[in-house]
Amino acid sequence: MKSCNCSILRANILFVFFILLSFPAETANSQNFDFGKLGSRSNAYMVVIDMQIEVSFGINTSDQEERYLGTIVTEDGLVIFDGTDIASDNMFSSFSGLTVKTTPTKIEIITLDGISYDGKLLGFDRFTKVGFINILAEDNEKFTPVKFNKHHEFRIGEWLALFMLMPEFITPSLSADIGMVSNLVESPEPFPLTVGFNSMQLASVLFNESLEAVGILGTLMDPSSGSANGSSMMGSFGSGGIPMLGVITGERIEELIAAPPTEGEIERGWLGISLQALTEDIAEFWQLDLAGGIIVNEIIRNSPADKSGLKVGDIIYEVNGQPVEVDREEKIAVFQRLIANLGPEAAVELEVMRLDQGSTDLTKILVNLEKAPISPTEAADFKEEELELTVRDLVFADYMIYNLDSENFKGVVVSGLTLGGPASIGGLLIGDIIQRIGPTEIESVDDAKKVLREISTEQPREVIFFIWRQNQTMFVNVKPTWN
Amino acid sequence: MNMRKSLKLFLIITVAVTAAAKAAPAPIQLQIFKARDKVMPAVVHIQPVIKNYNTGELEKQAVVGSGVIFHADGYVVTNYHVAGKAVRILCTLGDKEIVSAEYIGGDPPTDIAVIKLNLDEHKGPIVVADFGNSDSIQVGQYVLAMGSPLSLSRSVSAGVISTKDRYFSPDVRLPTGERTGRYNLWIQTDAAINPGNSGGPLVDLSGRIVGINSRATIFANNLGFAIPINVVREVTAEIIRNGKVQRSWIGLHCQALMELEDYFGTQRNTGVLISSIDPGSPADQSYLKAGDIILKVNDQEVSARFVEELPKFYYLISRFEPGEKINLEVLRGSETYTFGVVTKSLGDLQGEDFEAKGWGFSVKGITRQMKIENQLDDTVGVFLIGVKRVGFIEDGGLFRSDVIKAVNKTEITGLTAFTELYSQLTNEGVEKILLTIKRGGGTRYIVVTVDKDGEEELNEEL
Repeated sequence: MKSCNCSILRANILFVFFILLSFPAETANSQNFDFGKLGSRSNAYMVVIDMQIEVSFGINTSDQEERYLGTIVTEDGLVIFDGTDIASDNMFSSFSGLTVKTTPTKIEIITLDGISYDGKLLGFDRFTKVGFINILAEDNEKFTPVKFNKHHEFRIGEWLALFMLMPEFITPSLSADIGMVSNLVESPEPFPLTVGFNSMQLASVLFNESLEAVGILGTLMDPSSGSANGSSMMGSFGSGGIPMLGVITGERIEELIAAPPTEGEIERGWLGISLQALTEDIAEFWQLDLAGGIIVNEIIRNSPADKSGLKVGDIIYEVNGQPVEVDREEKIAVFQRLIANLGPEAAVELEVMRLDQGSTDLTKILVNLEKAPISPTEAADFKEEELELTVRDLVFADYMIYNLDSENFKGVVVSGLTLGGPASIGGLLIGDIIQRIGPTEIESVDDAKKVLREISTEQPREVIFFIWRQNQTMFVNVKPTWN
Repeated sequence: MNMRKSLKLFLIITVAVTAAAKAAPAPIQLQIFKARDKVMPAVVHIQPVIKNYNTGELEKQAVVGSGVIFHADGYVVTNYHVAGKAVRILCTLGDKEIVSAEYIGGDPPTDIAVIKLNLDEHKGPIVVADFGNSDSIQVGQYVLAMGSPLSLSRSVSAGVISTKDRYFSPDVRLPTGERTGRYNLWIQTDAAINPGNSGGPLVDLSGRIVGINSRATIFANNLGFAIPINVVREVTAEIIRNGKVQRSWIGLHCQALMELEDYFGTQRNTGVLISSIDPGSPADQSYLKAGDIILKVNDQEVSARFVEELPKFYYLISRFEPGEKINLEVLRGSETYTFGVVTKSLGDLQGEDFEAKGWGFSVKGITRQMKIENQLDDTVGVFLIGVKRVGFIEDGGLFRSDVIKAVNKTEITGLTAFTELYSQLTNEGVEKILLTIKRGGGTRYIVVTVDKDGEEELNEEL
C-alpha cells in the first residue's frame, strides 16, 4: 500500500493537491501488521478450551458447553482466558436471593496442533475476571508461553492486533482483528482504551506493530462494582451500559500470572466498611483541607474495621503513609483495590480524621486485614432430591441486603427449587430463609443436611418449614412424594 | 309534582320493555328498573384533584372515581384511593349538576373515604341511597354496579355475586403506599367493573347497597371486587364522627391453620396460629412467639382454619380501645398459657407528605408502621418518597426510602422539625445543604445544591 502510494506521488505531479490531502489520512488509518508472521509465532501458545459447565440458576440446573480462546502464559502450562461468564461474583444473584452458580465439570485444552490435554480450573481474578487453568500434562512437558512486554508505552492512535476464536463450524478457527488505542485513561485508574474490538474478544493477547505482546483485552472496571469489601452492592445495581474495552497491560498481567489463584478467587484483603468519597463539596462543608479521602459509612460487625476502633464518619486520608486522594465516587475503586491487594494478612496503618463537635482529631489506626467474606455462590449448599430443594449457608451479603442481625439471626437460604417439585408446590420460594425444619432449629447447611437426611429415611407425610420472608416469618407445609 | 311525573314516565317505560321482551323473566327486569331508580340518582361522578409526591415534587393529578350519597346532609362514600389526597373535589350528581365537595376523612386499611357535598351549591333535593346488609347476600344473587367506568358517568352494569368471601393478602398497597385489606373480605362480582367505577355502589335488586366497588382484575373479564357494606357502614360512621378510624394494634401476623393442624396437634376449628410478630410490638413485649396458637381472646373462642377467617380475627383485635389490656389464651406445645397484652393505637400507616421544592425531593414523616415495614431503627428523621430529577442531586445521590437524619448539623427529629428547618434555610438563601442519611445499615453524606428557581416559586406561594 505504502510503496504504491509513493509511486503515485512520483508519477502524478499534477495531482499534488489531492495527494497531500490523502497523505495524513493514510498514516492514521493504515496499519502494518505482518499477520503471517504473527500467526506462526502465536500458534505455539494459543489454545482452544472446551469446557462443560453446569449452570444452576435458582430453580433449575442445565449443562452447557462453551469454547474459549486461551493463552499459555507459563512453561509449565498455566493458561489464561476470559472468565466473565463463569466467574462467581454475580452481584445480581445476591440481590434476588437467587444463586447463579457455574461449575465447570470438564475442561479440555486443545493446542492448535491438535494435541488435547485435560485442564484444571484454578480460579478467577475478581477485578479483571481473567480465568486461570492449569494444563494437566506430564511433569517434564514444557510449553511455549507468550512473553509480555511490561514496558510498552501506549500512544493514542497506535494499532493493536489480536486473534479471536470463530464458531465451531468455521475452519480455520482463528480470525485476526485490529483496533486502535483511543484514549489513555488516567482516572479512575491508568487504562489504555481501545476502539475496534468487541467483548467477544476479551482476554485475547494484544500485539503492537512490532509483534510484541503488550497486554490482553479487558474492560475498564465499573467503579461501582467489583468491590473488594461488599460495600458498593447498592451502587452496582443498575449501572449498566456498554463495557469500555481496553488493555490490561503486560505489567499488570504479569503480576496476576506471578500469583495465580490457588483455590477459587485470589484472596483479597478486607476491611469491612461501607464507604463514600470525600468530595470537594463535603470537604468544604466540614472545612477540611484534604484533596480527598474515604468517609466511613458503616462498620461491619466483627470486621477488621470494627476490631480496630474505626468509627462511622471517620475520614481515612492516608493508607500506610500514602495519601488517599479519593474525591469522586468513581475513584473509590482505587482505594478498594489498594486494600484488596494488600492481602488478607496485612497489617495496615490508617491515618484518620475524626470530626468531633466542631474540632477535628487526627488519629492513627492499625488494622489487621482479613480474608473477604465469601459470596452466595461460594457458600456451602445441599440439595435434597426428593423435596427438590437446594439450600445454602447465609453469607455476609445476605445480612447486608436484608439488614439482618448477624449475631442472632440464623438459618439457611433456599437457593434452588424445581418448579412443580414438592418444595415449590408447598410454597417455598427462592430467597426464603429456613429457620426451622419440623421442631429443629437450623443454623447451617450442615444442620439442614442432617435433618433432611433423617426425613428422607423416615419419609413423613409432610414436612413443616418455619421460614423468614420479606421481614416476616411463616410456616410452610411441604408434602413430599416419596418414591 | 315532579315525582309523580317521573313515576308515570317510569311506568310507561317498564311496560314498553316488558311487552317487548316476552321471553325474559319479567319480574327481574322490573326489579332491575326499581333498583336502578332507587340508587342511580344518588350515584356521584367524582373528579378530585389529588396530591402526588412520588416523583419528588408535588404533582396535582386529576382523577375520576365514583361515589354514592348515603346521608341527607350530603355525605358521599367513595374509595380512599379516589379522594384520599384530594385538594379539591368536584362532583357531578345524578341530575348532572356539578357541586363541589370537601374531604371529611378516610381509612386506608379499608380503602374507604367520606366526602361532603356543598349542598348550598345545589338547587333542589338530593337523593340518598340505602345501605343493605352484606351478611345476608348470597352467591348467585343478582347485583348492579353503578358509577363512571373510564369516566363514562351514569353507567350501570349487571351481574351476580360470584363469591361473598374473597380473601386478599394484606400486602396489597394503595398508590399512596398504605397496605390495605387486612380487616375485611371482599364481594366478588361479574358485573363489569372498570377503572372509574372505584367508590361506586354494588346494589341488590331491592335497591340497597351491598358493597362499594373498589378493585378489578386487570387482563381479566368480569372479576370485580367490592368492600362489604357492613364494613363500610361502620367505617363511614366513625369517619363522620372522628375523621378517621381508630384501631388497636398488638403486632401479630397470623396464618391459616388448616395444613398445620397435624403439626401443632390442634383440633379442627380451634385457634389462630401466630406466624410472625413485629419486633418491639405489644405482642413481642408480652413474650408471645411465632408458633403460638391463640385459643381465646378475653374468654371469646377464636379460630382461623382458613385464610378467609383471618380478617375477622384481625378485626376483633382492632376493635379494642388502644391501651386496653386483653388476655390471650395461648397453646404453646401441649401447654396452655394466658398472656396479658396491652394494646397500642395502630396509628397512621404512612406519615404526612412534604415537598422540599428547592431541594428537589419530597419526604414524609415516619410512623411506627413505616419503621416496622422498612426495618428502621426508630421513627426519628424523615423518609424520602421521591427525588425530582436525575442528576439534580450530586453523585451518590438520594434514593427512595433513604431516611434523612440531619440537615447541615441540625438533627431532624421528625417532619415538623424538617419543614421548619427547610423554611429557615430557604429564607436564609443558602446555596448548598449537607444531608446525613441512613440507608440500610449505613450512614451517607450528601451535598444538595439548592435550586434557586424552585425557591422563588416557593416564595411566591408563601
